Parts: sequence; structure tokens; C-alpha cells
Amino acid sequence: MDETVAEFIKRTILKIPMNELTTILKAWDFLSENQLQTVNFRQRKESVVQHLIHLCEEKRASISDAALLDIIYMQFHQHQKVWEVFQMSKGPGEDVDLFDMKQFKNSFKKILQRALKNVTVSFRETEENAVWIRIAWGTQYTKPNQYKPTYVVYYSQTPYAFTSSSMLRRNTPLLGQALTIASKHHQIVKMDLRSRYLDSLKAIVFKQYNQTFETHNSTTPLQERSLGLDINMDSRIIHENIVEKERVQRITQETFGDYPQPQLEFAQYKLETKFKSGLNGSILAEREEPLRCLIKFSSPHLLEALKSLAPAGIADAPLSPLLTCIPNKRMNYFKIRDK
Amino acid sequence: MDSYSAPESTPSASSRPEDYFIGATPLQKRLESVRKQSSFILTPPRRKIPQCSQLQEDVDPQKVAFLLHKQWTLYSLTPLYKFSYSNLKEYSRLLNAFIVAEKQKGLAVEVGEDFNIKIVSKSQLPSENREGKVLWTGWFCCVFGDSLLETVSEDFTCLPLFLANGAESNTAIIGTWFQKTFDCYFSPLAINAFNLSWMAAMWTACKMDHYVATTEFLWSVPCSPQSLDISFAIHPEDAKALWDSVHKTPGEVTQEEVDLFMDCLYSHFHRHFKIHLSATRLVRVSTSVASAHTDGKIKILCHKYLIGVLAYLTELAIFQIE
Repeated sequence: MDETVAEFIKRTILKIPMNELTTILKAWDFLSENQLQTVNFRQRKESVVQHLIHLCEEKRASISDAALLDIIYMQFHQHQKVWEVFQMSKGPGEDVDLFDMKQFKNSFKKILQRALKNVTVSFRETEENAVWIRIAWGTQYTKPNQYKPTYVVYYSQTPYAFTSSSMLRRNTPLLGQALTIASKHHQIVKMDLRSRYLDSLKAIVFKQYNQTFETHNSTTPLQERSLGLDINMDSRIIHENIVEKERVQRITQETFGDYPQPQLEFAQYKLETKFKSGLNGSILAEREEPLRCLIKFSSPHLLEALKSLAPAGIADAPLSPLLTCIPNKRMNYFKIRDK
Repeated sequence: MDSYSAPESTPSASSRPEDYFIGATPLQKRLESVRKQSSFILTPPRRKIPQCSQLQEDVDPQKVAFLLHKQWTLYSLTPLYKFSYSNLKEYSRLLNAFIVAEKQKGLAVEVGEDFNIKIVSKSQLPSENREGKVLWTGWFCCVFGDSLLETVSEDFTCLPLFLANGAESNTAIIGTWFQKTFDCYFSPLAINAFNLSWMAAMWTACKMDHYVATTEFLWSVPCSPQSLDISFAIHPEDAKALWDSVHKTPGEVTQEEVDLFMDCLYSHFHRHFKIHLSATRLVRVSTSVASAHTDGKIKILCHKYLIGVLAYLTELAIFQIE
């Protein structure tokens, strides 16, 4: 076994938390049952790793075996990367071909190898017609760097691919090209949507979170719907307040729905809009140029936080469409200009 | 009575910044004149904008370079009892011994000759061939702190503002020694939203040749269960244009102007997002002059307005002591 391969496998296994180790090794399916049974997983981690490397050597692990282990690790630790979304499109009048996974993989690999000579490409298919792709980048003259790979998750029945955005930027066009050509598309475009939570990105891109919303009957009278109001509400709140609170709750629910929101960590708005104040008409009145602002919302769970703003009285209901459109428009990066 | 007028003496003989940190003789002279004045309102509704021309020639950029671009943690400090500038060597020896006793790792301490006591802490661990790296810096400061000076007797030295950069543990040990030796009391200086707004307005008002940083505000939104932070960055030229449009009284900043400036920002934000920033908590402001965080952290970026920044911070420190 190559020394670099051994080192790479060792470092990958060291990253794996002990409580996940057997699960991941089983998913890897490289070491046999018999081999795994010889390992005492209750030892100190370094000893376990030593033993595992020894077993890998016995089986002559190659770089592609190592790459596969790395993919599995990343599948278990998706949130360690920030994921971006690419959308592909077919040319006008092009037919929707039947997708052939084998042909896609061959084509994808060939395109990269032809361009770079030194590149490690690995695939792992999952249910939901998705394929995880791992690319370790090299150049014409240097070997691939196994420690800075790019991961791509391509849903073959859709025009969408999710990529880990830690890649070296110069390879982006090539990656885009490979994806587009191999999947028989015409064009690829990066969406303004980014998050650590791959599942949330999927939910937003594929509009999966909307499914429960469809079954909601919006003509149901107010009393029958759960408004989330505290039943033991303070009796000092007088009637008008209750009406307003109910209005806010209803609008919030209509906007965000009853279901848990997809998890995003931030939304960013680049604004170039003129200042228009209701307070004092003379401020910046003669100024033609817009104010250049950059606004960033950050939260462990942005959409849930935004949902709570109007009921808390911090925002008006309905909330601004700039915020509520995030899941619908499938964007969390915006450039806003005066019309 | 607005006593923030520029020092009437172009500093007598000396252009050392130390005189502005801890005024020795010039300040005592002013103490006399201040005692004759009528009572002083601590947070006046108007204050002079730090004028570049008054202060620039007095501050040697090279000498103050070590103060810039570093994050300082702020404390207020009650007056020091029987502190004497002539005993600095003795103090350094005592502080040294104290630190050695407290921390058995053998930190050596040196004290500079300057009025502002600079404690240079070197580790005596094996890497002695390296040049000593400054691990911790602390300095005492009083800029225009007249209101405090007039109330204390001559046994006391007033250095109400203390800034520290470096490990928290070092700050604690050194602070303990000073508290024991001079019967004073350190207290972390928090900066509330009101004062952060003032800082943002004053620093935006400063005339700059070029901007090194964007003007930025950070609010923390009290929503549950998830926290939400909102950052609002505005191009510094646009911020200045907004300020100039709001600003009416030349040479001074008034409460109304600060409120209006902030309201304009709130209003611009509300127009787009329908969120009332005024219902949230301002925690950080950042400009090309300086940046400040509500936890009492400050970073000064521009030597031209150093004195102005310190003057405001001194005022906050005094306010906290009283």
C-alpha cells in the first residue's frame, strides 16, 4: 500500500468519532467481517487506528478505496462544509433523455481527466437517485491533493447539483462543464443559495417542505385552527390587543406554514436603494445616488427566528417579502436596487 | 458650562502624548481653574466634535502606533490613593514580586519610564533567545476628566480609564495588585446602546481623508428560541452624507442629531424589511475611526482622533464611577 494512501486513510479514520467508527467501517464495506472482528474497539483510539491500517495494508487498499471512505465520512458530517447550489438547464427544444448513471459517471470522469491529467474522481450512489461525487484536484504536473477535495451531490432526476464550496476557485468552471456535459445539459448557473444544511437546501430547492401546506384549507374558521396562543393568556390583555395578536398569528402562519422551517444560517442583502424617509422629507433629498448597504441576518435557525419576529412585536405583519421569499425564491443572497 | 474646549495652552513645551494620557502639571493647573467653575453636567446634550486640527499636531503617529488596531478591554478605575509618578521603579519591583508569587511560572515584569505605565511581560520559559514578545499591555488614562478631578483631594491620582490587551488572567492579577496597593477599584466598563449610538454619530462626523473600514452596526434581536443577529454595513461615504444632511449645528453634536441619524438608519431598514431595529439591542458599532462593542471592547483605527475617542471613554468611565 502506498505510503500516501496509508497516511490518508489514517487521517480519515482519526477524524471519525469512536461511536461512529463501526457504522462507517461497515458502510465502507472494504474490510471483511472477519477482519473487523479481530479489532478491539475498546482500546485507545491510536491503537485501534494502527490495527485498522494494518488490515487495510493486508487488503492492499488503493486510493479509490480511501476516497470512498472519505465520501462516507462526509456523508455523515455534511454540516462541516458550506454547500452551494447549481442549476442546469437544457437548450430549447432538447428532449429529456433517459438518464444513464454509468454513462454519466464515465463521461464526467473523462472530461476531468482529459483536462487535468491528475485528478481522483470517485462516486457513491445513494437512494433518491442521487450520486455523491468526490474530486481531488491535481494539475498537469502535480498529484491530486487528497486533503482538499470537492464534493458534489447530483440528483439525477433533477437539474440540481449541490457542491461543497471549499474548492479551489479555479476549478469551478471545469467542474461546471463536466457536470453539464455529462448530464446532457446545456447550461449551468449558480444559485444565490448557500447553507451548511444540505437537507434544508434540498427542501428549499425541491420545495419539499411545502407538501403539508397544500393540505391546509385556508377557509377553515379561525377557532378551529391552532393559533399557538397561550390558553391561559393574561386577562389584562384587552379585546383589541387580542384581535391584533390573532391577526399577526394568522398572517405569520399563512406566510410560514405550520411545518418546521428549513434550516438556514444566514441571509445577505446587498442594497443600492435611495434613502426615502417618512420622518423628514429634506434628509438626503437632493442626493441622486443610492445608499450602498450590506445587510446580513445570522442565526442558528434563521427562518424560525424570522417567523417569531412579528408575534414578538419586533416586526410588522406581514413581514417584508424580501425575507419571506427566501424559501420560495430559493435564494439567500440578494442584490436589491431601486426599480 | 462646556469644558471640552481645546487645551488653552498649545501643550506647554512638550508634545509627548503621555501628557494627554495622564496630565501631570498642565492638568493640575487646570484643576485650579476648574474648581472655580460652576457645577458640571456629566453627559451634556451636546459636545464638541473632535476637531482634527486641534489635536493632530499633538499626537505623534509613531508613538501611538502600538495603541491602534488592537482590541482593548475597558475598565473604570476609582482614584488611586498615594500613587506617585516618581515611584514607578519601586512599583514595578513590587508588582514583579507579586506576580511571581501569584503565578509560579516566573513572569518577569518591566515598567517603562513613561507616565503611562506600560507593563511588558516576558516569559522566562526556554525560548529566551527570542526577543521578548509583549504578552499583555495595560494603560491608565485620563483625558479631559475635569469633573472627577475637582472632587478629590490631593492624595489621589485620577486615572479613571483603564485599557487592557492580553490574557484575562494577567489582567486579573495585575488588577488585584493595584487594588491592594492603591486602595482603588476596577470595574468592567460596559457601553450601552445609547453611548454606542453617540459614538457612531461622532465618529461618522469626523472628517477623514480616506476610509479604511466600512461603517457597520450590529444588533442582537431578543427573539426566542433562536437568536438572531442583524448586521447593517453602510458605505462610509454614504454614512457621512447622511450625517451631513442631519447635522445642523457646526462644531457640535447634539442629542437630536444623534437620534435623527439613528432614526434614519432604522427607517431605511424598516422600509425594506419591516423590522423595527429600535426594538432590538445595539451591541456593536464600527467606523474608520474606531469600533466599540457593548461588552466594553474597543479598537481604535485612526490616530488623528485618538484623543477624542479617549475623551469620550474617559467620560463614560467617570460616569460609571460616580
